[in-house]
Amino acid sequence: MQGLETFYEVMRRQGITRRSFLKYCSLTAAALGLGPEFVPQIAHAMETKPRTPVLWLHGLECTCCSESFIRSAHPLAKDVVLSMISLDYDDTLMASAGHQAEAILHEVMEKYKGNYILAVEGNPPLNEDGMFCIVGGKPFLDQLRMVAKDAKAVISWGSCASHGCVQAARPNPTRATPVHEVITDKPIIKVPGCPPIAEVMTGVITYMLTFDRIPELDRQGRPKMFYSQRIHDKCYRRPHFDAGQFVEAFDDEGARKGYCLYKVGCKGPTTYNACSTVRWNEGTSFPIQAGHGCIGCSEDGFWDKGSWYARLSDLHGVGFGIESNADRVGLAAAGVVGGAVAVHAAVSALKRAQHKGDTGRNTSNANGSSHTGDAA
Amino acid sequence: MSENVSPEGTTRLVVGPFNRVEGDLEVRLEAAQGRVEAAFVSSPLFRGFERILEGRDPRDALVIAPRICGICSVSQSHAAALALAGVQGLVPTDNGRVATNLIVATENVADHLTHFHVFFMPDFARAFYADRPWFARAEDRFKAAQGRAVRKALETRATLLHVLGLLAGRWPHTLAIQPGGVTRGADARDKMRLQATLGAVRRALEDDLFGTKLERIAELASRDELDAWRANGPDGDFRLFLEIAADLELDRLGRAYDRYLSYGAYPGLDAPLYARGIFTGEGLGSVDVTAIAEDHTNARMEGRNRPHHPFDGSTRPDAEDETGYSWCKAPRLGGLPFETGAVARQIVDGQPLVHDIVRRGGGSVLARVVARLVETARTVIAMEGWVRALQPGEPWCAQGAMPEYGRAAGLTEAARGALGHWLRVENGRIAGYQIIAPTTWNFSPRDAAGVPGPLEAALVGAPIRQGETTPVAVQHIVRSFDPCMVCTVH
Repeated sequence: MQGLETFYEVMRRQGITRRSFLKYCSLTAAALGLGPEFVPQIAHAMETKPRTPVLWLHGLECTCCSESFIRSAHPLAKDVVLSMISLDYDDTLMASAGHQAEAILHEVMEKYKGNYILAVEGNPPLNEDGMFCIVGGKPFLDQLRMVAKDAKAVISWGSCASHGCVQAARPNPTRATPVHEVITDKPIIKVPGCPPIAEVMTGVITYMLTFDRIPELDRQGRPKMFYSQRIHDKCYRRPHFDAGQFVEAFDDEGARKGYCLYKVGCKGPTTYNACSTVRWNEGTSFPIQAGHGCIGCSEDGFWDKGSWYARLSDLHGVGFGIESNADRVGLAAAGVVGGAVAVHAAVSALKRAQHKGDTGRNTSNANGSSHTGDAA
Repeated sequence: MSENVSPEGTTRLVVGPFNRVEGDLEVRLEAAQGRVEAAFVSSPLFRGFERILEGRDPRDALVIAPRICGICSVSQSHAAALALAGVQGLVPTDNGRVATNLIVATENVADHLTHFHVFFMPDFARAFYADRPWFARAEDRFKAAQGRAVRKALETRATLLHVLGLLAGRWPHTLAIQPGGVTRGADARDKMRLQATLGAVRRALEDDLFGTKLERIAELASRDELDAWRANGPDGDFRLFLEIAADLELDRLGRAYDRYLSYGAYPGLDAPLYARGIFTGEGLGSVDVTAIAEDHTNARMEGRNRPHHPFDGSTRPDAEDETGYSWCKAPRLGGLPFETGAVARQIVDGQPLVHDIVRRGGGSVLARVVARLVETARTVIAMEGWVRALQPGEPWCAQGAMPEYGRAAGLTEAARGALGHWLRVENGRIAGYQIIAPTTWNFSPRDAAGVPGPLEAALVGAPIRQGETTPVAVQHIVRSFDPCMVCTVH
């Protein structure tokens, strides 16, 4: 890693002041859920450690992850992280083009063999020998395998890389396949969501670059610091759920009063993500705040679990008696989820006990489930 | 990227992958005497969304279709909502229509800003142009990921996207647009926040990009006025671009067919903000949607024997196909290729400056970029009016019922041009879903008659300097269309 600048040097070169640098360190600590006592530690790490090169590859995808990433809350965080990444390789944003870009990719791989982080947005399609996603005349699958070979760790950005996402939905015409089913010999950090929240992405990458360590992961390989709570647990509409007050249709009286969206299909009770705490677009809002239920986009298989709007028709398409029927469903659901909360708390306590002592252990390919579907 | 020379002196070049375009793209060029003689545009990424949508609850299109693209997701969601509204015979409430306009416009303006600052202008900060008189300024402002204008534009864009945060919950992949309107109304406090946000965006555009009031840009009426602006207009990145464009003669680069299609953007009570229509050598005309068909001859898709109207279309990859060179089908209107985008919207709407540029020199790189900037100014002004038009407390979403059978097209304008979703519902499920995206039009391959798509035509004649393997003129032309490759094939 000789000759590589430290983070602080990179920031200084970008014209960032000492004062802003320290502010960045405290923001980072806050974003990662660390106390103020960690700020000097982060600052020290960034002043002394050579920065870790990041190579960012795009497979079969829609670029929503990049789009989310480039507008993270703190412009400084974005600037720093973005400039660090674009110094290396990112084919949507970087300056150079065509074979020059490919040359840079190879140069970084060679120079920092075993020390760089591979960030993957999208996934490889396996049908027809990978010909549904061709990068530089070769299947993306080949590029992914080549770059992963000497990577220190792999970050699977978003639901495509982590789980497959809607492009892997039935009948999965291209056999789009999540990264961990193809790369099986590296630690993989899954950051699911379609897209993931910008602050979650910068938080994860900053943690890894700063501490040179993989964040603590859950059994599915997701960083616990952002994926340990359900949307429902911290939802500001939760009191209405507990009180049995539900929206029955967009723009009804309940919607105007901000009632719970469970009956119009909200998946908040079964979705682990940070939307209800971190929120979106610099903390402005999140889907539930805009009156639409959570679709569960960070959960594995969210695309093939039945219609997102089916509850709506189930509750409304049955003529007379819908009121009692709907209420019964609502009350039953309240009971079930209430129970689940208690169970969840107990399980969490158990897990905390189990996890004592194994903090930071890498979990790769913990989720062996396959959802590649049939060939077209 | 590769190169070889044939005995006849024709050079073959493969350019790609392209960075700073959305998604994957490869262009094969045949060149002689330092000029491109023929171009073949290939979209190398295929996912099969149309197949994935078949058999599902029609309303699920609202969740799946936007995920075609993380950049144009709102436009995709709007087209899906319009198709569903068509099937349900539903008309959005006034508030729903106005809020939807704000949501769609936010994404389109954000895309125009990204295109200019992040995708297009950084090419002029490449060492290739180090000897030009404007180079130092271009580098200072637009060097990829570092230029001062690039950083500022990303901040402005993040500010602008607060509009989507407020009205739609999040971006990308918002869920707020529904067939009957939107899922969230705006109250008086939201209106104030929206006004403040748009005020900040206006200031940033007026300070950095234009150096003057948005209204002055919107009112630009002729090529002569534009030349005067370059000579002694207010300082700003717009003027820097005009200087570069004049030096490099971008008004003579990248002309396609000068044939334009717009579905019309931002519905109003009577007419849309930007008119629906076509513009050809014969002037303005109306859009005959029934005359739209997709040709599969070079698309590596089954069904090469005839063109397909999108209600009757199919998306079945043919792995055995040896002649096709793209996953992109070739959409044609009345059998002809059409260009789409801001330049099409503005010329069909009769914006005098864009009309004059095209009339005098054809639809060039200059015309496309100027049209986008003029449209940015016009749209932000319109957005301020829509915020004032929101009526707190009034209905924001009309309710409808999904019929067992029906079909409808959802036609809207994404930043990059005409976007259509053609939906057929049978037995209450999606029986057919065909999508023609803007870049499908612009980057279409040749059709059965061998007629090239608009980009393929625009690249002919582009200069290639001695030893250039990624010809910079080709890069300017390709990026002037602001391609979105993930939408193109979906």
